[in-house]
Amino acid sequence: MGYHPSAMDPVIEAYKKDVDRTLIRENLRCTVEERILNLIELQKLAVEARRAGQAARAAR
Amino acid sequence: MLQALDAADVQFIVVGGLAATIHGSPRLTQDLDIVYSRTAENLERLVRALRPFHPYLRGAPPGLPFLFDARTLKSGLNFTFVTDLGWMDLLGEITGGGDYDRLLPHSSDLQMFGVSIRVLNLEKLIEVKRAAGRPKDFETIAELEAIREELKGR
Repeated sequence: MGYHPSAMDPVIEAYKKDVDRTLIRENLRCTVEERILNLIELQKLAVEARRAGQAARAAR
Repeated sequence: MLQALDAADVQFIVVGGLAATIHGSPRLTQDLDIVYSRTAENLERLVRALRPFHPYLRGAPPGLPFLFDARTLKSGLNFTFVTDLGWMDLLGEITGGGDYDRLLPHSSDLQMFGVSIRVLNLEKLIEVKRAAGRPKDFETIAELEAIREELKGR
């Protein structure tokens, strides 16, 4: 069950205060291809971080 | 995966996290969400394009008899797959947006890495995320609306 759109407005506005607009501005300066490449690098980092976390837990 | 879809002339629209990335979101997404046309020809093209990547139902126990073919796609609507290249959601329709034909006027063609794809426009992406009304999307909606504000302010 989802929220009614109008009921969401104050919530979204509250979330918006915490949006890091510096990241958005940096991204908007990039081309679409650059944005995708950044995402791929971030995904690789997430995979590696997950692997490292699992290895550390296994070593305990 | 996008290259394979484009090469097979599959009719699809990128929605979800990758669409948000394309519009400027810095958020990390881990799956590819597409809304696909459900014509018989397109289901065949979709199967031809994706079968080499061994799509399998995400979260299903290994070894379950599952055949990725046009008949299976026709019998269902929205599928969540794990493939050799990552997670992929094939969506016959989405809340607040409908099916491929209804979303088509709200999408744009895009060339990237030599591949032609259609992506849902920012305005519609916000609309469907709002229509879904899921708390997990609140941050994303706030971010997409901030992107819209930044673009308007240029």
